[in-house]
Amino acid sequence: MTNPSVLSSAFRVFEFSFGQMLWSRRSVFLGLLVGAPMAIAFAVRMVAVTRGLPVINGAGLSGATLFGILIWLLFVRFIVPVLGVFYGTSLIADEVDDKTITYLFTRPVPRSAVLLGKYFSYLACVVLLVLPSVVVVYFLIVPIGSSIGESFPSLVADLGMLAVGLAAYGALFAFVGAQLKRPLIAGLVFAFGWESTVLLIPGYLKRLSVAYYLQALVPHVMPADSSAISALLQVFQELPTVATSLICLTAITVGALWLAGRAVETREYVLEQ
Amino acid sequence: MSEAAVSPVVSAEHLSKWYGQVIGLNDVSVAVPRGITGLLGPNGAGKSTFMKLITGQLKPSKGSVTVMGEPIWRNPSAYFRLGFCPEQDRFYERMTGREWVTALVGLNGVTESAAKDMAARAIDIVGLTDVADKKIAAYSKGMRQRIKLAQALVHDPELLILDEPLAGMDPLVRRKTIRLIKEWGRAGKSIIVSSHILHEIESMTPNILLINQGRILAEGNVHQIRDLIDEHPHTVFIRAERTRELAREFLSDDQVLSLRFEDGGVVVQTGRPDLFYSHVTELAASEAFGAIHEVTSPDDNLQAVFQYLVKS
Repeated sequence: MTNPSVLSSAFRVFEFSFGQMLWSRRSVFLGLLVGAPMAIAFAVRMVAVTRGLPVINGAGLSGATLFGILIWLLFVRFIVPVLGVFYGTSLIADEVDDKTITYLFTRPVPRSAVLLGKYFSYLACVVLLVLPSVVVVYFLIVPIGSSIGESFPSLVADLGMLAVGLAAYGALFAFVGAQLKRPLIAGLVFAFGWESTVLLIPGYLKRLSVAYYLQALVPHVMPADSSAISALLQVFQELPTVATSLICLTAITVGALWLAGRAVETREYVLEQ
Repeated sequence: MSEAAVSPVVSAEHLSKWYGQVIGLNDVSVAVPRGITGLLGPNGAGKSTFMKLITGQLKPSKGSVTVMGEPIWRNPSAYFRLGFCPEQDRFYERMTGREWVTALVGLNGVTESAAKDMAARAIDIVGLTDVADKKIAAYSKGMRQRIKLAQALVHDPELLILDEPLAGMDPLVRRKTIRLIKEWGRAGKSIIVSSHILHEIESMTPNILLINQGRILAEGNVHQIRDLIDEHPHTVFIRAERTRELAREFLSDDQVLSLRFEDGGVVVQTGRPDLFYSHVTELAASEAFGAIHEVTSPDDNLQAVFQYLVKS
């Protein structure tokens, strides 16, 4: 018999692992994480109903602007990288820790297909949970002083951008998980140390981050005040085009998955007895 | 006879495996014939390393290994012809036995309905049909062992590799499983089964590979060694519904040299383990002293036997 193809095998692994991942303990954490923005949005809506538009630095914010802030600060800069780190690094590591990897690695499927199938499961899980949360936040926040009809196209773009972000971060951290023995710390350092820092540094370093390319896909204008920091940030706010961002994010996703697959194919997993 | 019928199922040439500075397997050259072969060795002897190498989970540090004529490392198509029952008692606990076996055989590329049929057949063979739709988390140790066997044989492989398959089984299920393994052997399958209990292995096959300290000490029909082992006192731990009454019964057994109570069970030292094990199985079948929950032979037993063999 010939070696089974990676894609068809990955689909079979996806079928096997999607339910497992969706109903795992980690999904409880995911539920809390995506529930938080909905709770915040609900609170903001209540405040807006009773006290009027929220005010930052003396300026009243429209619902659309507030939604943009939540998308950037909560989803793009926090929830998406956190999900990427916690799920991506554990795609294979969880099975190794649970010692169930043997059952998958002694079936006629390439090891890279196991990783790919589990990556697709991750993507399906997080997209199914994160995107509805964004939609709920949108319908709670945007009606505050804005028109849903006008800003609806930006919601669609946000959803697409978040899906691309989840795919890119998941792939990147899948590679970190496949390559390192203690991937979680490295993942967190990258997501919240490296990425946050390089975005503030002028020059080319920021191009070595996922957030830089995602930033260009966020169709929201961030509120700015008259402070020096805000002015500096505006000066250094150099963004790639949407096309460049999409190409680079696709390259990051495909490249990271290829490297992760290669690492899993060649690495030995010695299970502790 | 065709070449395939006489060629070894597993062939290792100067096979070594190191874990950093630790040697797991040291320059092993062996040809495992078709039929049932027992891999016998104490804890830490290199059995698991050998099993992992021949199931493609580890890459040889030196030398080569082929399974049914093909290299096994990074060769997923070989698993169409091979079934593996690992030692570790780990599962996807939230799945039912049926879901788990069906999902695993689905990875062999069969259709959903074929996977269901194959899983049902395998579950039936290991005698778990009545609990197939229960969650694995609710299974007893013996059931968990049997569902592991079901996932190994579900795709009807030519070669079954079973790592300590009888561990944790009560005497009756153990006897049934031994019978099953022998039936598979008679049906033309090749089976490599590991254990640290000679009498378990001997009840399945006379063809034994003795492994210790990462080396194959002996292979083939090892009756002489068995006789030597039989002369060596053997320790057995038994936990039963009525342990004290069972212990009283053992006191009248000529094969029992000593006994003591420990951890809710009785630890028996016997000079004739073969006779003693069959006596225990008879008692389990008759339920004269209630159910016998556990019969285990500590690993240090075989370690002591090997030390004894090396000296003699």
